[in-house]
Amino acid sequence: MSRPRLNSAQRRGLLGSALLGLVVIAVVGAYYLWGEAWQARILYATFVNLLVVVGLQVFMGNANITSFAHAAFMGIAAYTAAICVTPAAMKAVSLPDAPWGLNAFELSPLASAALAVLITGVLGLLTGLFMARLNGVGMTIFSIAILVIVHSIFLHRTDIFKGNQALFGIPKILDLPQLTLMVVAAIFLARLFRESRTGLMLRAAADDEVGARAMGVDVFRVRLVAWVASTLFFAAAGIAYAFHLGTISARPFYFNFVFLTVAMLILGGLRSVSGAVFGTLLISIGLEAVRWLETGPVLAGVKLPELLGLSGLALGGVIVAVMAFLPNGLMGNREIDDLVLRRRNGG
Amino acid sequence: MDYLIQQSLNALSFGAEYALIALGLAIVFSIMRLVNFAHGEVIAFGGYSLAVTGTLLTGNPWILMACVVLACMAVAVVLERVAFRTVRGADLTTGLLTAFGVSIILQNLFLLLGSPRPVAATQFIFLDRTLTLGPVRVSSLQIYETAVTVAAIVALLLFLRRTTLGMALRAAALDFEMVRLCGLRANRVVAGAFAISGFLAGLACIFIMARRGSAQPHMGFDPVLSAFVACVIGGFGSLPGAVLGGFLLGIAEVAVLILLPQSAGGLAHAVVFALVALILVWRPDGILSPAREKGDKL
Repeated sequence: MSRPRLNSAQRRGLLGSALLGLVVIAVVGAYYLWGEAWQARILYATFVNLLVVVGLQVFMGNANITSFAHAAFMGIAAYTAAICVTPAAMKAVSLPDAPWGLNAFELSPLASAALAVLITGVLGLLTGLFMARLNGVGMTIFSIAILVIVHSIFLHRTDIFKGNQALFGIPKILDLPQLTLMVVAAIFLARLFRESRTGLMLRAAADDEVGARAMGVDVFRVRLVAWVASTLFFAAAGIAYAFHLGTISARPFYFNFVFLTVAMLILGGLRSVSGAVFGTLLISIGLEAVRWLETGPVLAGVKLPELLGLSGLALGGVIVAVMAFLPNGLMGNREIDDLVLRRRNGG
Repeated sequence: MDYLIQQSLNALSFGAEYALIALGLAIVFSIMRLVNFAHGEVIAFGGYSLAVTGTLLTGNPWILMACVVLACMAVAVVLERVAFRTVRGADLTTGLLTAFGVSIILQNLFLLLGSPRPVAATQFIFLDRTLTLGPVRVSSLQIYETAVTVAAIVALLLFLRRTTLGMALRAAALDFEMVRLCGLRANRVVAGAFAISGFLAGLACIFIMARRGSAQPHMGFDPVLSAFVACVIGGFGSLPGAVLGGFLLGIAEVAVLILLPQSAGGLAHAVVFALVALILVWRPDGILSPAREKGDKL
């Protein structure tokens, strides 16, 4: 070992991430060429979801443990970043009763984002220390506990978080180009994590925990690392969300969002980063179509009835159908480079 | 003193409701390792069936109670047949996510066919009266709830110990393969487990409807979330654990409500969940989980 170099799987990972990055850039390019202005918002939301789903893959996919806490971490990051970056003059209006001088300071966008990542990461580490000790169902319930606790704090401390009302006046800092860069970077990081030593040990422990322990894998440690790493992705997503929308409220950081992102991940396939990307894109496109149907459009001269709940129905249908017919999702264990380089892989 | 009695009755009735639901979750989990997220929608289905049969058929509450319980049992068995049979034997995550999808589908079906607003169904409200027992004023519903839960637990115990299907269920929780080798039909055993879980959900539904007086798409979500927590505290899949966890959770919830200052009332849920998280840290597999080495045959 003269000098640490990337092994072949990691080199494949770089290639795969680059291909996924091209897919993402192609989507953005298509929007700039042919898209209409109102689609920018949808695309931005899709990419924020993509950040979350890729982060979710880092823990849920590699460790094969269902976690529902991501909306909580995203909310923490979004609120931290928003409270730090909003100008003090604006906060005097939007947060008049905030304690601890929260409405009397302001930070630069970069410092706010850094602080948001730091706080989310520290909370991720603290929860992770407990989380990584548990087994399958316990972990899922623990993650739900985190989600419920964080949500009730958001709702309860209206003086800081405004609860279900909007916290407004956040300057618009990020736009589509910057977010695209973040998404591509996230894809690279998630894929490199998957192919890293820790990622490999984590996947081994997911397949056969006893076997992995016998081979010397410290399951607690690798789960903890993955958990904290994934909270950092959620932090990035929360910051991207807050820095674009201008207003945030507690409502989106709860179960509905959790359902949506988990559906995206399992449609594509938990086990690969490519699955996370494709699942997010497919469900986002599909949902837009279903939402259009839901409002009762006029189709071929016939006014369709308004069908409230159709999008949720479709989402649930996708989850059940995928689990019944393709338990490993569309991509299964494969990454995009496996599809492109299939022949070399087989030979 | 009467305050104390009142609050302990509160705790018992909360705990009874959680225990009923948690038992339904545990009996399914113990046999097919399925975390049944759709259990809340079974309860909501019971609520809607009450609203429908109550307006269309009859106002007789006893017949309606039977209808609600039957509706819950039927929908639980149908869900097993349609959705959960395909994932039998799959790993935990697959089952959990399937159940989760089924739950979303049902919620949105209620939304689509019913309405996002509550649908009134007040036939069981009469159960909830204020009784005056000496110096203590208590809600009759809470007494019924506690008594019915205790009766249901005793009946379940007798069923599990005395009948063939009951014994098969207990055996299947230990070693399903062996039960099948002994000549019992797997489908029948699993359907039996779902029917019992539906029956318990139906009982819980009656009390929930008596308290709410209306059905809503998301009405089952919160009670089932709490029941999950109860299951996890007690040890997932353990039936005594589910009952213990349910009552512990009821006590914890009432205690937190009493002890927490009025201004922090909104945080009661958060405090209860934090307590649960601490219990999990102390005993990662729950209080009554059997000592089991990783890799043992489950």
